Amino acid sequence: MSLDLRFAVSCSSNMNRSMEAHAMLQKKGFKVRSFGTGDKVKLPGPGPDKPNCYEFGTSYDFIYKDLLNKDKALYTQNGLLHMLDRNRRIKDGPERFQDCTDKFDIILTCEEKVYDQVLEFLECHIPEENNPVHIINIDIQDNHEEATIGAFMICELALLLSSSDDLDNDIDELLHEFENKCQRNILHCVQFY
Amino acid sequence: MLSQVQELVVHRQPDLLDTFYEEVVAFQSDKNSDVRKWVVGFIEEACKKDGRMLPLLLPNVQLLLEDGTVSVVKRCVQATAPLHKCTLVWVTSAHTITSDMELAWIILTGIKSKVTAMIDHENDGVRTQVIKCMESMILVQSYSETTSVHRERENVPFCLDRVPLTLKLTRPRKLEDEAKQMVQKLVSFLGSIHISSVNLMTCMSSLVILARARPIFLPSVVQSLELLHANLPPTLSKSQVNSVRKHLKLQLINLLKHPSACDFHDNIITVLTDLGMSSSEINKAVPNREEIRRQAKKRERAKAAAVAKKEDGNEGSARKRARLSNSTLTSNKDIPE
Repeated sequence: MSLDLRFAVSCSSNMNRSMEAHAMLQKKGFKVRSFGTGDKVKLPGPGPDKPNCYEFGTSYDFIYKDLLNKDKALYTQNGLLHMLDRNRRIKDGPERFQDCTDKFDIILTCEEKVYDQVLEFLECHIPEENNPVHIINIDIQDNHEEATIGAFMICELALLLSSSDDLDNDIDELLHEFENKCQRNILHCVQFY
Repeated sequence: MLSQVQELVVHRQPDLLDTFYEEVVAFQSDKNSDVRKWVVGFIEEACKKDGRMLPLLLPNVQLLLEDGTVSVVKRCVQATAPLHKCTLVWVTSAHTITSDMELAWIILTGIKSKVTAMIDHENDGVRTQVIKCMESMILVQSYSETTSVHRERENVPFCLDRVPLTLKLTRPRKLEDEAKQMVQKLVSFLGSIHISSVNLMTCMSSLVILARARPIFLPSVVQSLELLHANLPPTLSKSQVNSVRKHLKLQLINLLKHPSACDFHDNIITVLTDLGMSSSEINKAVPNREEIRRQAKKRERAKAAAVAKKEDGNEGSARKRARLSNSTLTSNKDIPE
């Protein structure tokens, strides 16, 4: 198995789905980074029209303390504090995909809108060496349970892709195999660095 | 360690390149394929740094293109695009064509035809790299146009505009014809039945990049995308079809925004509607015709101004020459016979 593949996992706020997958892939020894593609980091607030918004670059620790001060009971009960505590053990803070200059072999996205935003960004990017990067979308709903199931699926996919010695040649078949197994629709596209 | 050698020999003390390149390139027969891939990277960097290395190192690329390991072959195909550009820049910038240049050109022509033939390679990844390489070579071997949309970092990327008509090694016309043939090859590759979804999307993107940079190719690219939409390869799975249709939509929107694509708006919009795009979404993507006309007029004015400036310059130099010859005449008159 090759653990040399560089993975990126992206959702919209780099809080729940991408971080759940980040934690799991990291535990398995993969080279992984996680991102969000939205304009701001958005977390549920006291009401549906009152989300908690933060700029990318704010640390998980800061957000944790902020929510703790705002309403400890509410954010403990809805699991946000637990999630932020997990996140701050993994890295400093949420990162925006469009601000990252690192190169990856595989970019996994958690919803179609995020996939579109990643593609839009990479389409504008001017390739230097024409190294391919595969962008793969698996739809995962933004809640704790689905994020956990999604992370297992992402991990399984990562293991499958890493098992190939020649990914560019095998990826179509591997994705087809994965899709049949997990019974979810996936989107796949290739771009170049 | 090897990358340190490359940094030292190519970038920090390039005078060492001449002395050490043979020792470095000897690693091309190393057992480890990563080392052989590194050698290709070294050759690419060395040739970019000093054109005189091209006749010495291109034969090694030609040899490594036959390597038994697919990743090495892919790296060679990847290096072919910059080496092709380097060689053309090198022979174009020279006052006189030397035998070394002739040699480099002959080897490069061999590499080019070998790489182009690899579009039918058995490995999908190699085919992907060949598409990208052909895209770069076509851009270099064609003329820019007023409405060209460039992706390169340079303001005016190197292309046939800078190749003199008098180039002895090859005629620009021949290079341009070759580029047209390569575009046709990509178009027929896009229409092949057994193309993989990855290569289908790569080829689609490449053709759209080419059409945007060289609007002369717009008619054949739009037609090929229309055909593709009507006849998607039967080998694609349901989700691959979704991915391809999504990608096609994105590419058609890119074309729709191009100032030279006005004549093809109806065709593009028909396909976009078939792909499920609403008319309000399409209208958002269609550029304002008045704006296009204004931009075109602006470009024409800039072009006319540039031509006038050039003519002024020529007149100026003609006047200067006249003044000089007059002064020479007067000074000659001064010389007693």
